[in-house]
Amino acid sequence: MSYVVPIGPYHPALEEPVHAKLYTEGEVIKDAEVFVGYNHRGIEKLATERNAIQTIVLVERVCGICSHSHAFTYAMAVEALNGTEVPKRGQYIRVITAELERLHSHLLWLGIACHLIGHDSLFMRIWDVREPIMDMLEKLSGNRVNYAMVIPGGARKDIPDDMRREFLAGLKGILPILDRIVEIATTDKTIALRTKGVGILTTEDAIRQGAVGPHARASGVPIDVRKDAPYSCYDEFDFDIAVCDSCDVYARVVVRALECYESAKILVQALENLPEGPINLGNKIPKIAEGEVVARHEAPRGQVVYKVVGNGTQYNQRVSIHVPTFKNAPTVPTMLRGNTVADGGLIVASIDPCFSCLDD
Amino acid sequence: MQVFKAIEITGDQVVPLAERMRKEGRMLVMIHGYIQPDGRSHISWDYEVGDTVESYYVLDEKKFQTITDIYSTAAEWPERELNELMGYEFEGLDTSRRLFLPEDMLETQGKGQILVTPLSELVEQRKELEEKK
Repeated sequence: MSYVVPIGPYHPALEEPVHAKLYTEGEVIKDAEVFVGYNHRGIEKLATERNAIQTIVLVERVCGICSHSHAFTYAMAVEALNGTEVPKRGQYIRVITAELERLHSHLLWLGIACHLIGHDSLFMRIWDVREPIMDMLEKLSGNRVNYAMVIPGGARKDIPDDMRREFLAGLKGILPILDRIVEIATTDKTIALRTKGVGILTTEDAIRQGAVGPHARASGVPIDVRKDAPYSCYDEFDFDIAVCDSCDVYARVVVRALECYESAKILVQALENLPEGPINLGNKIPKIAEGEVVARHEAPRGQVVYKVVGNGTQYNQRVSIHVPTFKNAPTVPTMLRGNTVADGGLIVASIDPCFSCLDD
Repeated sequence: MQVFKAIEITGDQVVPLAERMRKEGRMLVMIHGYIQPDGRSHISWDYEVGDTVESYYVLDEKKFQTITDIYSTAAEWPERELNELMGYEFEGLDTSRRLFLPEDMLETQGKGQILVTPLSELVEQRKELEEKK
């Protein structure tokens, strides 16, 4: 029997509105369509009516999880257009915030994945470990989301020495708990049964369809902007790209779990070697030089791309935002085909979708 | 260090360029479109070449051949976005269904809290309002 199963746009299982149609034969998904656009807020248009400092406040609202990534990337684009050199300490603070954001985002996703799998005890344990990271972000910026840590030309707030030492101690305390979580996540039978061989995206499909971030790396594609086109001070840190080639949901769990360690590694190096000096170039509203530029940052879900066009005034001529979910969501129908409706939710969640990012 | 290079091309160079990039294993970073301050339309195909983003742009043209058979969905969604929101046409692109909000959502227009108006219709409504003025 053939069915069309509509999901959303408003559905109790969806955190954000999106509409999908699953074309099934019995309970097996034969094809799927995704419709987006329900979260459109006109951010690109609004950005053309704001100066660089106002735009940073605006683009942080694109996403509640990776808000720093948007501010960071936009600031990099403006600085590239203006030829501004960010002070080293400012660069380090931006990277520290970015990696704390990646840690909390990956732990959030791992928790949700465990919840969808039905392993609620691990879900709660993971979110319990995420809390100290959220506390660090709150202590650093004053906020749990929308950190406002970036201004054009540097970072907005400094990290005093006592906070730096506290963060280092906090990270060292989290790592043993993370070890135990990763051990359970990668060896537990329930998790393996629900994730191994489910939602396959082959390496060839991942390359052809342009997948990015942990989603691509879980299909054996070793791409990461932090390594491929280093920016800020990422070239000063020793870290690896986590890659897994089993191409299924299990690989996406493994890659994100391993990336938590890599982020912790970068954080420890950045906190231990935090350079002295100014954190920014002052609070003056910059003019955005005439011309266009593309800036890229490896956000938790993959590369965020900002194209900024300047016209020599304080205002943007054009800000074009392209987010990882825009690249990863089109791969969803490929992953769904041949799987059961029951696994559909987990497969969609496995790309760590952010539809408010996508629609912006 | 990230580098950005903008290179002007013509509309008929888009497909051979995409074929060359695909052959070299380059990633299509994005297809962007905007209207320049002088009113000229600007569309660019941005490719990752090492640590550089090479942006190949075309001015004033609105019709192109699709590159979806070369870059699959990596090109399909950006092309559909530019088609729906900026009116660019891509020959060979399947535009039989919408990317942003499905057609059947219009049936619920005005019912309860639901307000779903595609941008193209808003443009039409705005034109009508301006004509009335």
